[in-house]
Amino acid sequence: MTELEQKIRAEAARLLSEGLVDVVMAFRKEDAPLRPQPAFFTCVEDLENLIYNGLCANNLANYLTRYPDETRIGMLVRGCENRSVNALVVEKQHSRQNLYLIGVPCTGIIDWRKVVALTGEDILGYEETDSSLHVRTKRQSYQLPRRELLHASCQRCVHPNPLSADIVLGEALPEGDPALIRERVEAFEALTRAERTAYFKQEAERCIRCYACREACPMCYCEECFVDHNSPRWTESGTTPAGTHAWHIIRAFHQTGRCTSCGACERACPMDIQMTYLTDKLGKDMWDSYQFAAGMDAKSQPPFASFTLDDRKHFQAGGMHS
Amino acid sequence: MDNRPKIAFFQCQWCLYAPEDQEWVDKRLPENIHLIKVPCTGRIDPLFVLNAVQGGADGVVISGCLPEKCHFKEGNLAARRQLDAFSSFLDYIGYDEARVRFIWLDLQDRGRIQRELTEFESLLKKLNPAKSLATRVPETEGGAND
Amino acid sequence: MKYILPKQDLNALLERWSAEYAVLAPQKSGAYAEFLPYTPRSELCLEEPHNTRYPPKALFFPQSEAILQYKRTTGQLESISAVAQKRVIFGIRPCDAKAVSLLDTVFAEGDNQDPFWQARRAETLLIGLGCHAPCATCFCTSAESGPFHTDGLDALLTDLGEIYLVELLSERAASLFDALAPASSILQENAQAVQSAAECALPKAFELDGLKGKLDRVFDQDIWAQLAQSCLGCGICTFLCPTCFCFDLVDEAQRDTRVRNWDTCMFRVYSLEASAHNPRPTRKERTRQRLMHKYSYWWEHADKLGCTGCGRCVRYCPVGLDIRAMIRTAGAYENEVLHAN
Repeated sequence: MTELEQKIRAEAARLLSEGLVDVVMAFRKEDAPLRPQPAFFTCVEDLENLIYNGLCANNLANYLTRYPDETRIGMLVRGCENRSVNALVVEKQHSRQNLYLIGVPCTGIIDWRKVVALTGEDILGYEETDSSLHVRTKRQSYQLPRRELLHASCQRCVHPNPLSADIVLGEALPEGDPALIRERVEAFEALTRAERTAYFKQEAERCIRCYACREACPMCYCEECFVDHNSPRWTESGTTPAGTHAWHIIRAFHQTGRCTSCGACERACPMDIQMTYLTDKLGKDMWDSYQFAAGMDAKSQPPFASFTLDDRKHFQAGGMHS
Repeated sequence: MDNRPKIAFFQCQWCLYAPEDQEWVDKRLPENIHLIKVPCTGRIDPLFVLNAVQGGADGVVISGCLPEKCHFKEGNLAARRQLDAFSSFLDYIGYDEARVRFIWLDLQDRGRIQRELTEFESLLKKLNPAKSLATRVPETEGGAND
Repeated sequence: MKYILPKQDLNALLERWSAEYAVLAPQKSGAYAEFLPYTPRSELCLEEPHNTRYPPKALFFPQSEAILQYKRTTGQLESISAVAQKRVIFGIRPCDAKAVSLLDTVFAEGDNQDPFWQARRAETLLIGLGCHAPCATCFCTSAESGPFHTDGLDALLTDLGEIYLVELLSERAASLFDALAPASSILQENAQAVQSAAECALPKAFELDGLKGKLDRVFDQDIWAQLAQSCLGCGICTFLCPTCFCFDLVDEAQRDTRVRNWDTCMFRVYSLEASAHNPRPTRKERTRQRLMHKYSYWWEHADKLGCTGCGRCVRYCPVGLDIRAMIRTAGAYENEVLHAN
């Protein structure tokens, strides 16, 4: 158990034993190799199963919308999770008052698929240090540089520190460079239209409409998703090009002003489909047009909810793309 | 008909103040322009625009009222932000944003709609037909999109 | 009959087959393998110890399939005929082949015979590749299958390093291998040793004996809510599962086509009725449903286990849920929790 894990367990134990929360959301030991699981602790005795490491790959804010407001929830939040919590509070999906955020500055989530690609199957165990991941397989041991295993979104992370946690465990980390996200979008914009369409299709058409991206995303909480509308049906239901294109276009678009670039969508996808290049473009547009970034506080309204008459200067025939 | 660009025309039902303009749109719109009348531009979901693009639209026109003139007060303000962002997003995946035209009409804009549509059509003729995202176009005659 | 196929001769053999059959084999596609049409330029993906990501059930039961077309302008209906081409699916794993034959129970027996499924099945040969190094998420031996099981296969290959040992299992496939040399008894023994070693390498995932009863008796218990807590309710486990078969019929009105799409009991709308009543209203009922269907109801309906232990659901669950652990926990609940008190 690392020192950080001890601190997290201690804080969780305090919250539960003092009756301050009804449940603590964090992670527990894996059943399948490299896959710690989101876990919901309601009593102190269970906390011996609580772990925290770089393989904890899910955005826990996703589970907030399953609980009624009255439930007092203690939850582990890294940088992106904290912003997702803020975004949900802004959208009135949960009130801040019954949340106790246990903040942990995050050094990035390791992509288990990158590990398997390097070590093969038969993983017996692993140990994580600040700079590397030691992996033991049936055949040999590996020492892999942590930096190279990070999920792509984590390599571009701007806010590893939780912004509004009630307590922060672990050392604060330097903020990341926002240029990394912007530059990737600009690189894509610099391709020709034909190249961009080709890339989009190549990614989207692998889609199997499992909606794991939607279910892993904290901001996708609609009881009825647009794909389930059938009177009329606006987007095709199956894995045809029309259907898969529409799914990716509209799901990304529905994240405009809401997505915190956590990358949970890509980590969930079983077909390795790229999606954040779409949501990051929308995020960049929201910043450029409205100086808005999602989840930076629990109050600011996203651009689509805060249209004003001051927008009138853009109402020129055909002249909106200034 | 086959050679003229296909245009999806979303018209807010209030924005054509002059009765002769509305009558022209209702009765004498060229065949390559497909009219979808909406109670307000605020009703236009990006899903509708995408549906038109996937159905083979070479261009999309959205016409509505100026700010402060919206019959429903703020519908056009919401529309502007959403649809602006959406047309920029479509451009990002290759559907030229020049193919999405917004026409905000004022009381004095009699006859403007015909001019805009004509001009838009010439612009579209210079661009190639927009087929790369038109994935729902039927392969046989007599199908859904006639 | 058992034959030798030197690995260096494999491509030539597949090309020979290509003259008469459409040949599909596992090939690299991005970071994973999938069944793609074989061409002389194909790079086969046979060394990896695990199966394709997307299940081969899709080769018989496509994820989205048009089954009816109509012309709105004339009111004319066009049924789509179930026509299939002769095919060889090469390199399918025993878990997946058994799964295809399990699905015959659904699509090819009794009163509900699916012409699309049957046409494809009738024209397809399944040439299997056994797994000499099963991976950590495999549990076929706990699910009435095994790394060299022959259920559903027309032939089975065993990897012996430089060569494959080919075991012919059906007359239909005899002509595919008639140019090969027979395998000596030494090679056959080597193959058996490889097969046993692989089988032994797989730990027991759960106790199948009496499992159905144990699960049935705890159906109403809260254990299911605990097991389902982190489940996202996406469709990965069901869509990647080689034995899941639920589907939905959709009239795509804008394309004048009726399509059949895979469906999943994990979605809320799956069991949502028009009245808005939902007999599986929460995550608990839906996750329970998946486990019960595979490990209990299949026995009732078909006298067979509905899982072949391929492990895809374990590998690709976004929250790391492991069906083996869930079954162990649910199966032990009666004795360890209920009766312990």
